[in-house]
Amino acid sequence: MLTSKVFLRKTKRGKVLKVVREHYLRDDLWCGSELCKKCGQENSDVLDKSPVSSSTLCAFPHYIVIDTNIVLHQIDVLESPAWKNVILLQTVLEETRKRSTNNYKKLREIMATRKDSFYVFVNEHHKDTYVERKPGESANDRNDRAIRKACSWYQTHLEESQKGTDKKKQIKVVLLTQDFKNREQACNEGIPTYKVDEYVKSLKDFPDLQEKLAASHSESNNENREPLYPEHLAPTRIMSGIKSGKLLQGVFHSSRENFLEGTVSVEGQDKSILLQGHASLNRAVDGDVVAVELLPEDKWTSPSGIVLEDQEEQDPGDEIEKEEKLLIDSTKSKDRQPTGKIVGIIRRKWRQYCGILLPSVLPEGTRHLFVPAERKIPKIRIETRQAVTLSSQKIIVAIDSWPRTSRYPLGHFVRALGNIGDKDTENEVLLLEHDVPHHSFPETVLACLPSMPWMITEEEVNRREDLRHLDICSVDPPGCTDIDDALHFRELSPNLYEIGVHIADVSHFVRPDTALDKEAANRGTTVYLVDRRIDMVPELLSSNLCSLRPDQERLAFSVIWQVTADAEIQKTRFTKSVIRSRRAFTYAEAQCNIDDSLQQNELAKSLRGLNKLAKILKKNRMDKGALQLSSPEIRFEVSTETNDPIDVISKPMLDTNSMVEEFMLLANISVADHIFKHFPECAVLRRHPVPPASNFEPFLKAGKTQGFTLDVSSNKALAASLDAAVKPDNVYMNTMLRILATRCMMQAVYFSSGTVAQVDFYHYGLAAPIYTHFTSPIRRYADLLVHRLLAVAVGADVTYTELLNRKCAQQLCNNLNYRHKMSQYAQRSSVALHTHLFFRHRVQDEDAYVLFVRQNALQVLIPKYGLEGSIYLKGNDGDSKLDFVYNPDEPSQTCGNVTIRTFDRVVVQVSLDSKYVQHQKIAVHLVHPKIAGLSVDAIEIPKTDEPRTKKLKGGK
Amino acid sequence: MAEILLSEAEKAFIHHGVQDDLRCDGRTRLDYRPIILETGLVSNASGSARLRLANSDILVGVKVELASPLPDKPQEGRLEFFVDCSANATPEFEGRGGEDLANEICRFLQRSYASGDTINLSELSVLTGQQCWVLYVDILILECGGNLYDAVSLAVKSALYATQIPSIKVATMDGDQPELELSDDPYDTKRLNTQNIPCVVTLMKIGNHYLVDPTPEEECCSSSGIVVAVSGNKKITAVRKIGSGSLHPDSLVSMLKQTGSEVGAVVNTILMKKLLEEETLEVSQKVGFMR
Repeated sequence: MLTSKVFLRKTKRGKVLKVVREHYLRDDLWCGSELCKKCGQENSDVLDKSPVSSSTLCAFPHYIVIDTNIVLHQIDVLESPAWKNVILLQTVLEETRKRSTNNYKKLREIMATRKDSFYVFVNEHHKDTYVERKPGESANDRNDRAIRKACSWYQTHLEESQKGTDKKKQIKVVLLTQDFKNREQACNEGIPTYKVDEYVKSLKDFPDLQEKLAASHSESNNENREPLYPEHLAPTRIMSGIKSGKLLQGVFHSSRENFLEGTVSVEGQDKSILLQGHASLNRAVDGDVVAVELLPEDKWTSPSGIVLEDQEEQDPGDEIEKEEKLLIDSTKSKDRQPTGKIVGIIRRKWRQYCGILLPSVLPEGTRHLFVPAERKIPKIRIETRQAVTLSSQKIIVAIDSWPRTSRYPLGHFVRALGNIGDKDTENEVLLLEHDVPHHSFPETVLACLPSMPWMITEEEVNRREDLRHLDICSVDPPGCTDIDDALHFRELSPNLYEIGVHIADVSHFVRPDTALDKEAANRGTTVYLVDRRIDMVPELLSSNLCSLRPDQERLAFSVIWQVTADAEIQKTRFTKSVIRSRRAFTYAEAQCNIDDSLQQNELAKSLRGLNKLAKILKKNRMDKGALQLSSPEIRFEVSTETNDPIDVISKPMLDTNSMVEEFMLLANISVADHIFKHFPECAVLRRHPVPPASNFEPFLKAGKTQGFTLDVSSNKALAASLDAAVKPDNVYMNTMLRILATRCMMQAVYFSSGTVAQVDFYHYGLAAPIYTHFTSPIRRYADLLVHRLLAVAVGADVTYTELLNRKCAQQLCNNLNYRHKMSQYAQRSSVALHTHLFFRHRVQDEDAYVLFVRQNALQVLIPKYGLEGSIYLKGNDGDSKLDFVYNPDEPSQTCGNVTIRTFDRVVVQVSLDSKYVQHQKIAVHLVHPKIAGLSVDAIEIPKTDEPRTKKLKGGK
Repeated sequence: MAEILLSEAEKAFIHHGVQDDLRCDGRTRLDYRPIILETGLVSNASGSARLRLANSDILVGVKVELASPLPDKPQEGRLEFFVDCSANATPEFEGRGGEDLANEICRFLQRSYASGDTINLSELSVLTGQQCWVLYVDILILECGGNLYDAVSLAVKSALYATQIPSIKVATMDGDQPELELSDDPYDTKRLNTQNIPCVVTLMKIGNHYLVDPTPEEECCSSSGIVVAVSGNKKITAVRKIGSGSLHPDSLVSMLKQTGSEVGAVVNTILMKKLLEEETLEVSQKVGFMR
């Protein structure tokens, strides 16, 4: 039977089209029930003959029909195995696809994995269930009607097949919907219908399922309350506003320090727009793409400079605290910046968040607050009955909505990860939070690996240059198993040396377009956590076949230079090779060999030669303006049994470290040059943009307080002024300045050479006009790409289309940049986690330096742990007013006769604040200089009446 | 138009029949042959009608489209007629054979609709000077069985009556580009006021009498006649003389009067009545060509 669907559409050019689609109705679509004798289907076992109802609400056997709004809002609930005998109507599927591609994808996944529980009934093409839209009916109402029609069809259809069965045992069709009107009408038509939350709550076998119910549509009485936030504009108005320039579109970043502040970076504007206060932030969550309206210039302000945490230790309900207290009026301040307010959200970037539950005064209650691990994300209101069990666990929560009446976004519980403080749980959290793919390698990937035992074939050796006779060695940190670089040095004539850098030939094993390649490209980089390494390629490659182990024949990609004694390069060549490393040194061992003049073997001599050349190379580089920056790096001494950190050591910097680094830089630059020459359109390079002058503002300010005028006009000038800024009485000050300078830098990024003008190839930090990554293909995918390009350039390999496609290359680069950034964050979080664990059982007094002086806090850096903390200037007991005078120009804080300025050395007491077991954080308290009411006493003096230390010692 | 060969005796017979007010098929001079009309049968068009008058078969489709109004009439939409004489109708239409006739009909329709009394074109305006609806009226002549003018005009009027114009809202933006918002309900449409749209009446003069709705044979017998477009409020909006013979002013005036005040008005009222009747019919299934 033929009908036609008619609808009107507006084309992009503004034409109105009447579209008519033929729509055929059939009489041979199966109902999918095992029971049915009429439809003539075979092997249909989706809908059971005698379904068992675990619901107390409808105890009779039944099939379930779900409405679109359930798929749209309760998709997480549907994942549960509780759902059996579900009929999915085509109407629902199509509506879902139209409304949310995400949920549609999820639903399809659920359907694919649970084929035996979901039956798709194509009601739109069934002659008895098709309904046509009536005049005056909205598309939604029509779909609801179609769903009801399908329900009642099923009902009568099933009745026919089970005539004679006991009425009570007859299978019925239950419609689940959240729509009140739909429910009412279904009732009138005699279809049993329930709200999904009613139904889920009545499932006696699955009591946990109701936790996953999304909060937004449980018909709370929110409507009557006064809205807390201004409303968002309609999408069409936002679009036109942006078109006319009245509104600006940008990405919202909430401030790490102050939850009532955020910025929006608008493309093409160098100054980002400041937002202050609840109303201006207007329910934006970090990462959202938002529309901003600028305020008139006389209302512009500057960042408040106070550190503000949404510190409610108890659930404040839906009240917004007085902001005047929290934000200080700074419209008169000098450095005002464009200020605006968010008027609409263009795209939400909500994901699932890890975190913990805020301890509630009423643990038995259902409404709880969830505190995400990421500070930039607001707390989330969820409903759960398992608060007591969940309070000691890390959980994952998804945001559902953020209505105007709610102080916090509403979300629902997704799953629990494990106990808080459990290292595995915390590791899992930080991997999830930073989107690090850490699942074990799938079979398809492992199938790409060479079979063991693996040997280099004669054929392969013939194809390569045989460098096995050279005295090659590697220098790496202790415990390193993925050795991807090795060096050699030999004297050709008195003033001519040959140096070689040999890099593991990973591209030999990872061939383009294999599953292994795709997996590696997705992972992008190996992630090093304190106690764990997440490999980019399977271990067989990373720790064995590619690793340049000593006394093993390995495939390598070599860069060989001829240099004079002044380190002037005479000749560069690249070749695929076979090598045998003589020895794997650690940095310290290598250093010993260099220093110990008794060692006169070939390797020691080579190392000395290399070291000498490296020093010249480094000097040349520094003269060109390369920066020596600093960021605190530490290592944990980990106990072998418990894997818990037992001590902290700063990573020592030896000559050999910089020696290896120097040659790697040299190799990278040589390779970058070469591949760019051969592939000007698609070479994968790395650039480090020159930071805009505005980035340096805090740095310059800090320098000024110390009486240094710092020149940031170029990297060379910056390097020179950093070298000059030394104070004899404060040795660490220079390092602090370097740390600050590091923070002003831009991120270095990979890019495809065809997408950027050549002048922008510049690597600011290294002062190199062109640069790439070549030397660590085992742990970075970019290096692998560079290897492939170079192999083609030297005629050792063939190209493939994606390699030469500038767009593909750029897409890969974008992913690599993202993964790279995330892995850095993950590594940092891992260090933070271990610092936490380290302080679990101890309280220590440490030297610290003031990094920033804020209006209500001091931010200090504890170099020994690379730890940063805030000292709030409000006194120990919270209420006592301390007379701190803030001088924003210097900036400094004065209390009585003590003045604290940036870079001042202080002594702080570090401990783990375990007031709440669930929410431990590192607490930093001032010890010296002494300020009554603020500072605590040094730990060495035994103080039994000090409640804080007592608690710490007792509470483990 | 298709020429039919008639002998003198046959012509004389027709002449005498007209004289006695009893035509060959039994009609009086002012009788129409039966008309079969159906609207809305082409689902792709915004409005359509098929009309069969004895053997004349006309299919009309109306397509609405947004366009910018003519600069001299910024507040009005417009109608555009296009007639296609299918070669199925008669072999003479093959190639460009039907073009002259098509142009003739087209021009006459345009002329008869041009009068301000017939249709309110400002109804079709969406946004003054920027956007308006244009109705493309495509007329397909499937079969020629005499009296084409009348048949075409009735079919066109019916199709316009059935035309559904999507309702469109102008969400005026503060920029200079207007944003048009289309209602998502396909039933949310507006209709034209077709009350005054003219019907065309052809009057053939045979001997001293004139008759309506001539058959092809009767057309052969007549040397002259007029085609008159009469609007719903009984106004004559266009007149055209057909045939090679001449008309005396007196008979012209009386023909105009007869058609204007009588036949045209009657045809109009009956058509409107029938269209309304069709709309209220319960049966929704379209008959189309499956008959």
